[in-house]
Amino acid sequence: MKPFRRRGDQVVAGLTDAESAVVGLLLDQLEQLLAEDAPADDPVVGRLFPAGHATDAELARDYRELTGAALRQGKVEDLATVRATLPADGGDVSLADDQARAWLRTTNDLRLALGTRLGITADTDHDAPASQEMTVYSWLTAVQGSLVDALVAGGGRRR
Amino acid sequence: MAAPLAPEMTPGTVVREESELDRPWVTVVWDDPVNLMTYVTFVLQELFGYDEATATKLMLQVHHEGKAIVSSGPRERMEHDTSRLHAYGLWASYQRDS
Repeated sequence: MKPFRRRGDQVVAGLTDAESAVVGLLLDQLEQLLAEDAPADDPVVGRLFPAGHATDAELARDYRELTGAALRQGKVEDLATVRATLPADGGDVSLADDQARAWLRTTNDLRLALGTRLGITADTDHDAPASQEMTVYSWLTAVQGSLVDALVAGGGRRR
Repeated sequence: MAAPLAPEMTPGTVVREESELDRPWVTVVWDDPVNLMTYVTFVLQELFGYDEATATKLMLQVHHEGKAIVSSGPRERMEHDTSRLHAYGLWASYQRDS
């Protein structure tokens, strides 16, 4: 992977064909978790769609009814943007600001999903010998970290 | 953070009711082992227009104290703020200010 960096109006990175393939598979898995019929008791689904109120079940239900559909729709659209801009056999990723934000949110959702499955805590030793999933998680962390840095470096903030 | 401006008070206003209505709601961001510190700072700047110093201070408060209030105001706006944070995958919720 060539990490994200700013080039003019775009942020660009380079992915190998294997990396593109892994991201493609992860997007397919995330898509299932974003579907309306995804099991609500799945901890990953719970993390992607958290309760709006920590203790009041009625307010949490109101919140879900009010915002759930739009939140889901936004995540689905972000995922579609990432899929459309992912080089199928590896290569350069070149993103305008809006696309970069879709990548930011989707790579974060992928990290939340993997992190929840892996039981990541603040004490997780990221230098310990890692499972394949942990290696993917760390790779996604590097991708997302470079993307944040590239957006900050370019003054990519809208306000 | 700046306090909201106090509403003009007319004589004879029922103060107790008024203060109950005006008691603001807040949006809280909770600590999370996955979200990157640079990412949380970026999102707080992006969504709330905080400068880098303010956003960093709030992010560090989340990191060290487990949570931070990132916005306050009427309930509807706090619901909206919470959903914007959820769109970015931050662990957030809204509640009445205590």
